[in-house]
Amino acid sequence: MSSSDSSSSSASDDPNPKLKPQPLESQFQSSLTLEDSDGVARTDDASVAEQQQEQQDEGSGNGSVDGVVNVEDNGHRDSSDREEGIGSGEARDGDGGSGGGGGVVWRRANSEVELEVEAPASPSSSGYAGGRGSSGASSASRADDASEEDEIEVVGNDDGGAVGAPDSQAEWTPGKRHVDEDDASISWRKRKKHFFILSNSGKPIYSRYGDEHKLAGFSATLQAIISFVENGGDRVKYVKAGMHQVVFLVKGPIYLVCISCTEEPFESLVAQLELVYGQMILILTKSLNRCFEKNPKFDMTPLLGGTDVVFSALIHSFSWNPAAFLHAYACLPLPYATRQAAGAILQDVADSGVLFALLMCKHRVGTSLKVISLVGAQKASLHPDDMLLLGNFIMSSESFRQVTSESFSPICLPRYNPMAFLHAYVHYFDADTYLILLTTRSDAFYHLKDCRIRIETVLLKSNVLSEVQRSTLDGGMRVEDLSVDLQQHTGSTSRVEDKPHTETPERIRESSLVGLGGPAGLWHFLYRSVYLDQYVSSEFSSPINTHRQQKRLYRAYQKLYVSMHSKGIGPHKTQFRRDENYVLLCWVTPDFELYAAFDPLADKALAIKTCNKVCQWVKDVENEIFLLGASPFSW
Amino acid sequence: MGMASVNTASEGMQLCIFDLRRGQQEGQELDKILFFFPADLPFATQLSVIGLSEGLITFTRIFSPDAACEVIEAERHSHVFFEAESDIWMVMVVEKSKESKAACQVDALRKVLKEVHSLFVLFHGTMRSMLEKETSGGLIRSHLYPFITDYLSDFLIGKKLQLPSFHDCLMERGTVQMLTVGREAAIEVQSLVKVLECSAGTTSCYSLVLFQDLLVSTTLSPDDTISLFTYAVLRWFRGNDGFLASDIWGADNGSQTSVTPIVYLQLTEERMYLCAYQYKRLTIILLVPVSSILNGEQGLSLVKQQVLENVCVLSVPASLKMLRVEEKLSKGWGGENAYHVSGYRYLLVDDERVSRASPPAKVMTLAKDSLLAMSKLREEVNLEKRAKCSTSEVNSDKELEICVRAKNGAWVIARTSRGKELYMVLEKASETLLYASDAVEKFSNRYCSGVFSLD
Repeated sequence: MSSSDSSSSSASDDPNPKLKPQPLESQFQSSLTLEDSDGVARTDDASVAEQQQEQQDEGSGNGSVDGVVNVEDNGHRDSSDREEGIGSGEARDGDGGSGGGGGVVWRRANSEVELEVEAPASPSSSGYAGGRGSSGASSASRADDASEEDEIEVVGNDDGGAVGAPDSQAEWTPGKRHVDEDDASISWRKRKKHFFILSNSGKPIYSRYGDEHKLAGFSATLQAIISFVENGGDRVKYVKAGMHQVVFLVKGPIYLVCISCTEEPFESLVAQLELVYGQMILILTKSLNRCFEKNPKFDMTPLLGGTDVVFSALIHSFSWNPAAFLHAYACLPLPYATRQAAGAILQDVADSGVLFALLMCKHRVGTSLKVISLVGAQKASLHPDDMLLLGNFIMSSESFRQVTSESFSPICLPRYNPMAFLHAYVHYFDADTYLILLTTRSDAFYHLKDCRIRIETVLLKSNVLSEVQRSTLDGGMRVEDLSVDLQQHTGSTSRVEDKPHTETPERIRESSLVGLGGPAGLWHFLYRSVYLDQYVSSEFSSPINTHRQQKRLYRAYQKLYVSMHSKGIGPHKTQFRRDENYVLLCWVTPDFELYAAFDPLADKALAIKTCNKVCQWVKDVENEIFLLGASPFSW
Repeated sequence: MGMASVNTASEGMQLCIFDLRRGQQEGQELDKILFFFPADLPFATQLSVIGLSEGLITFTRIFSPDAACEVIEAERHSHVFFEAESDIWMVMVVEKSKESKAACQVDALRKVLKEVHSLFVLFHGTMRSMLEKETSGGLIRSHLYPFITDYLSDFLIGKKLQLPSFHDCLMERGTVQMLTVGREAAIEVQSLVKVLECSAGTTSCYSLVLFQDLLVSTTLSPDDTISLFTYAVLRWFRGNDGFLASDIWGADNGSQTSVTPIVYLQLTEERMYLCAYQYKRLTIILLVPVSSILNGEQGLSLVKQQVLENVCVLSVPASLKMLRVEEKLSKGWGGENAYHVSGYRYLLVDDERVSRASPPAKVMTLAKDSLLAMSKLREEVNLEKRAKCSTSEVNSDKELEICVRAKNGAWVIARTSRGKELYMVLEKASETLLYASDAVEKFSNRYCSGVFSLD
């Protein structure tokens, strides 16, 4: 998969080089095609050309069963729309034409790679955005400033505060970087967090940084370590050296390794490897094991061709998305009735043979998903990890994101059934809101399309979509809005201006003594409802307003989570932790878990009181911030 | 000690020492091995342990050139690494028991390796210097084998090696425990030390005074103090001349010779005669430079004589110092449970060199879950400390306060402040965090001069 990436710098004049997908039947064949905006296939090296040829040979005519349907609504496309929409010699299935006013392209969405950013969030970001994937240390260092994703160890890096760092992860650019590096490069060795996937014969499958092909020797070393320990009748879990940790995860014929000096606990890193593996299963299903049974030297790289962007987006999310360690999902705050209306129509379609129906929206910052409503067919339940992986897959793939287009793609939900493909119908109602309908039937495209039309009509009629937009703009709970006088909270997440005036003077004055944020120096909180598998997180506010500070807090929460849930002896009941950065308070009960961050000088007694108030506040507004009683979540 | 029985019953543990500068040629790999326990393990197995270790050392240096492999954690075993001297590695492979799976005391195990090495160096000088003296490696092997097997025998309980585990989470290996002495006693001790160190005439000597197994006074460097203290607490037996002797370095030949042990000081690598004398609970250790004694044992016996006359001989009224000090210290000593604080189970570590803790018998009354939680918490604190060291300011003392209410309701607390660490388990504290914090505060004010007090 890296061969295409390495060509990205040379293709930088091309605004949108894309890897074209392939039909599923040929997914176990290699298939990589680069195509420019004219729809003309272009190749940057011989191997890609060969693969493309292969794909063309095999692609035609057999894509109709499992391929992705991408129905473009031509009316909504403008000339600046860089999305291709036209297959490179892949089957243009005649049936597809009747789909929706535009051409239907049967495709594998997972075979695409994004090499271009969407419009940069700010002019300042363009400096590195264009240079993504390019070679040379200079681009690396610029990217490091921009996003710690690429960070190279620097002494005191984490203590440096926000100097020069952008304040939002919106500027994170998807896709793989530093492809010119390999294990001989100093810069590669100094990357703070590596992820590798390899086969049990030592063949590289994925590396977060550097060119997989050049890392064959390194990959063989990792394999040797694992099998050496295995031969001794044991299984290696991790190796520690200084601040570095090498974490291993063996999944049948697939080996996953993380090398990190981020101070994240082993438990967090291994959970992240599990998710990386899950992402791979989501794309390919576990039946890939059979390929290794048949041929131990099986080369998997082509299967994942172009999915670098999916993995890198997932790995990026490990640094800021609490869903990754809480194993819970977040909902968009909405009036209860609005969510009910959305749920009702989803339930309607679920009864008509849809396995899962999810209405989701993208968080303002980053690509985090928030659930508007979600419904499962009888007894079917969706694991939060599957939702995370599915959301990541869809949001990191450019083709899905085309507003008003429809996609139909095979995906596997690893927690639901790791062996089987489901089929996902994806449609964006607007830039942020999208619908996923999952079915077991590969021929259900037109049925799902009809379902979508029904849903869309109801959503428009009942103003759900406009409520969603309003909520996205308003944001969620803010610590500043936590008042002393809880009586005043009458079940609303709304902000100060909506509240009775009487409460404002009642706010705890202590907050002014210990800095900004909410009462008693409360800076932020996370609340996880155990039964609902959902969490709510307060909006970041001062002083946690830079990306670096947010990431540091995220890491602190993650550490706290692991500490509370330590294997064999956990879960603990309460934890109070004070260091130079924060006071952290955690409270785990059978019903909920609360993680709260305060000013490091916060008063202990007031902090405890404040936590109680946060819990009360959450309970008061749970109708709006959680999806209640949608379907039985019982796993 | 019957180490043969250890060999056969030591499934649970392997310990090896190897030199990466040796045996790098194919076919000569065995030359690397300086020590392997159990010695009766087939060479192929020994080499496989060392091969994995060596491989991981090389591999981890790719990413962490300054700190190579420290631990390999596998499902069934922990491999604990310690680079004792440059390119000389000690690796301990410990089989995990069911109960220690939750919290393996890697740091405590590394301290065991550190301790056995510093004791070896105390009596024999560095391994490297011995290897340089005799390059075939025969000399060092013949010294390491009896020394380490003897050391390990201390961990032998029945036929099983009982290595540090979560049970030991409220003690700190590699620290000394001090006796608290009153002002008057301190002056007496001071005077005793003066007299003692003058016994060898004009030569500058060093001394260590112990009461029971607690340190009273030292004029040695901190590192040497820790080594000697550790050794002194481990074992002595009474030699022919009334001075204490030891067999730790002389193997099991049972010859209670009057040969005085010689030790190496760490910083100066100076060689010193070690003379130890005991009166009741009081032990004095005098270190006399080898270079200052002309006639070896003969010259030394004169010094010993002088010591006896100066401080010990009861018939000489002027030199009843030792007796007087012993009496005074005994009077002020609270007995085995002197440092027990009712309601608390604690460990207090000062500057990583001096510690005080609840008596082991009291710690044993804690529930297993409390101990496991404390063990885990200590691991976390160690990680935090290391992270702090590696990232920023040199010697910046981590200020940290962690209070955990464990599943069983016990409060498990860690505090670090100004180079001091306090660990505490409160099983009978009430439910609230504030109460637990208050208990720490009281303890801090009373026993730690308020170091851990916030207000």
